Amino acid sequence: MRWVDVKEGFKEFLEEFKREKTGIAGVILLVILVLVALTAPYTTIPDLPEKWRSSAYWEDNPKNVPPTWYNMFTSQKLVPQEVYYINDLKITHPSDTRTVIEADYNFPDRYILGPQGIIIRGLNVSVGDPMNAPVFDLYLLRPDGKKIPLLKNKPLSAGTISVGRDSTISANVYIWLVNVTEGREITMFEVPLQTILISDMVAPMFAKVEPGMNVTQIIENPEPLWGNYKLVLDINNPAPDKNKIILDNIKVTFLGRSYGTMGTDYLGRDLWAGIIWGSRVSLTIGVLVSVLSTVIGLVYGVTSAYLGGNADEFMMRINEIFASIPSLPILILIGATMGHITLMFIVLLLVIFGWMGIARISRSMALQIKEQTYIEAARALGAGNGRIIFKHILPQLLPYAFAVIALSVPGAVIAEASLSFLGIGDPTAVTWGQILNAAQNQAATTKGYWWWVLPPGLGIAVVGLTFVLIGTALDKILNPRLRRL
Amino acid sequence: MGYLKYLVFRILNAILVLLIVTFIISALFVKVAEESNRSKMYEELMMWERTEGAKIKQSQGLEAFEQAKAAKQASLEEKYELNIPYWQKVYKKALRTLRLDFGTTSMPIFGTNNVSDIIKVAVPRSILLFTTATIIVIILGIFLGVRAARHAGSVFDRGLSIFALLTYSLPMWWTGMMFLLIFAFKLGWFPLSSMFDPQLTGWAHVKDVLWKLALPVFTYVFVVFGGWAWTTRNIMIGTLQEDFIMAAKAKGVPEHKIIYGHALRAAAPPIVTMIIFALLGSLGGAIISELVFNYPGMGRLYWVALQQNETNLLIGLTYFFTVLYLAGVVLADMIYGFLDPRVKVGASAKM
Repeated sequence: MRWVDVKEGFKEFLEEFKREKTGIAGVILLVILVLVALTAPYTTIPDLPEKWRSSAYWEDNPKNVPPTWYNMFTSQKLVPQEVYYINDLKITHPSDTRTVIEADYNFPDRYILGPQGIIIRGLNVSVGDPMNAPVFDLYLLRPDGKKIPLLKNKPLSAGTISVGRDSTISANVYIWLVNVTEGREITMFEVPLQTILISDMVAPMFAKVEPGMNVTQIIENPEPLWGNYKLVLDINNPAPDKNKIILDNIKVTFLGRSYGTMGTDYLGRDLWAGIIWGSRVSLTIGVLVSVLSTVIGLVYGVTSAYLGGNADEFMMRINEIFASIPSLPILILIGATMGHITLMFIVLLLVIFGWMGIARISRSMALQIKEQTYIEAARALGAGNGRIIFKHILPQLLPYAFAVIALSVPGAVIAEASLSFLGIGDPTAVTWGQILNAAQNQAATTKGYWWWVLPPGLGIAVVGLTFVLIGTALDKILNPRLRRL
Repeated sequence: MGYLKYLVFRILNAILVLLIVTFIISALFVKVAEESNRSKMYEELMMWERTEGAKIKQSQGLEAFEQAKAAKQASLEEKYELNIPYWQKVYKKALRTLRLDFGTTSMPIFGTNNVSDIIKVAVPRSILLFTTATIIVIILGIFLGVRAARHAGSVFDRGLSIFALLTYSLPMWWTGMMFLLIFAFKLGWFPLSSMFDPQLTGWAHVKDVLWKLALPVFTYVFVVFGGWAWTTRNIMIGTLQEDFIMAAKAKGVPEHKIIYGHALRAAAPPIVTMIIFALLGSLGGAIISELVFNYPGMGRLYWVALQQNETNLLIGLTYFFTVLYLAGVVLADMIYGFLDPRVKVGASAKM
């Protein structure tokens, strides 16, 4: 083949491909997918796979909440995440020893619940005079004028203050609830344990609380009290010269009841970032597995057909043995027993169990090509087996190979996702299968967490569809028999 | 070559594959079992040292203790089969598996410890689910495929093609999760878990089983029938262009008769093979789909065995999957060779 012929042939092919609407749609989808996969570190969080498994990294996120845009479709609106840095806070110094930090929070109308929790972190404290260590009060001022004392006279340390996860704060909220509704003061010991450990004690802080109301009723079914809230952190530092408090890194987070583009999972992980990153693995594995298994199958089939006789028989028996092994159970077994699994190992496994069909078809195609006169001529001229196989027979099968590669990508993507779904995947990678595995383990379907289940599967479906569209278009152009359809 | 000879050859081939797979499974599991057995042995040896060993050390001195310890270790090694070489163990295990002697599980499942009995309970359930679903798929697929082929290029045909392409890219288990979300969680039409109620008997039991089968069957049919209809359509379009169809048309044979009498019969061999391989393919997908639906068949059992590290059960189940699969392959070859005699003279003429 001359270079000009190749160019002509390619041009002709492009012309025909342009007429295939489904093929064009597939190519557009592919370009989008590749762009999304390549830009993942810039559009989301860099080095996500390393952070994905550490639950500490996601502590500032709400857990198991739907995406923010879901509010547009439901009457029960859920507040989004709000983060305050030093410039968003009002910091005053009423006296030398006191520092007051205020965060203004607006609980918008028609939303059903307040935030999931409040987290204050980044307080940098160095105590030089332990006798006069700094202490703080934390309270919430509500639009109805009531004040909830969350913490009183607590020693200030460099840790995190977490409303909603701290049991003392939850108990204090309960004590305040009883105080307002029933007018009596109770002690820490009278707070029911279940209230502190299980109940959502943040929602009542943002709910209507009036004298005469029932506390259990408020906790179980809080009625929203909309308006402007003010979280106040009142720090008293008796020895400002010796005890240094640096507020530069302070971060106050009002955890949302909804979060970001795709919501969060049980650890508070940003599912949107996970899904974007998952496309990298999915595309890589899909393309790698299908290319490798197609190439191996082609070479195997053509070699088998060309050699003929006993060699052909033997090679086809091996092919049959591989084809007769039920692949998924064996894949699961190998994955489960080998222990350490890398993405490359999964690719290897899927290739080992995926080349047989192509080998069979290419063998039957090569059997026809083999009989043609120019092959005989090449042999008469003294061309070696390798040369005839690679120079004369394989190139004729190439167009077919492209269609096969495209059409076998969905299978490979689903196979990888299935293995990851069963928990047999590369633990250092973020994949759609693993996200779905976590969803299954946490019974997301029976709790109705659709945002956790729907997107990864849609991702798999989109990748599959992309390659099916391209593959069928290629098939139509390159397989003359189907052109009639 | 005669049909019988062809058949014998296929069966021998399947048996060879079964031997190889059994060997692979045994090799994998003996390795796993070896590690856990070694740690078990050391644990037991430590126990002995602390109780009996300590007594011997006190009464008879250090030398006697060392001797007794060595003897104890040897007897324990024999107990856990640590004293024979790896490949010999693999051979033994493979032989036992081939004889259907799978041993017992450490925890009772379905009220029994015997692996064979556990499998006997689970297999019919899986077959019930997938046979029901596959029969529906076949009927729907062939009917719709033939319709699309008759009106190639129509809106119905295009719609079917798009639907087939879409469902081809969906993992069945994910569709199952979505259907659970929509039909079981949101709308409440179906149960969230397909685990049978063990207390029911008689008619109530049948009703319970049907009710729990509904959503998994529906999912399977939804994901699979599009591809089926599409393939049937493609095969039928090819057949409808053959000369004998033209001849029949020219003769004035009614169209209904041409489609179902002539064309579908000619297209039968590839469709029948498809049917069998669809049944086989469903076995693999079943593992995860049953897990999603919490359906108490082979697939979920496989998962439980993996989770609880029940190696004997895993070996038994894998062996069973392989036997079922190979039986299907042989059956497909049998029917194919029967329907289309060219198969025997074509690819395997030299055998």
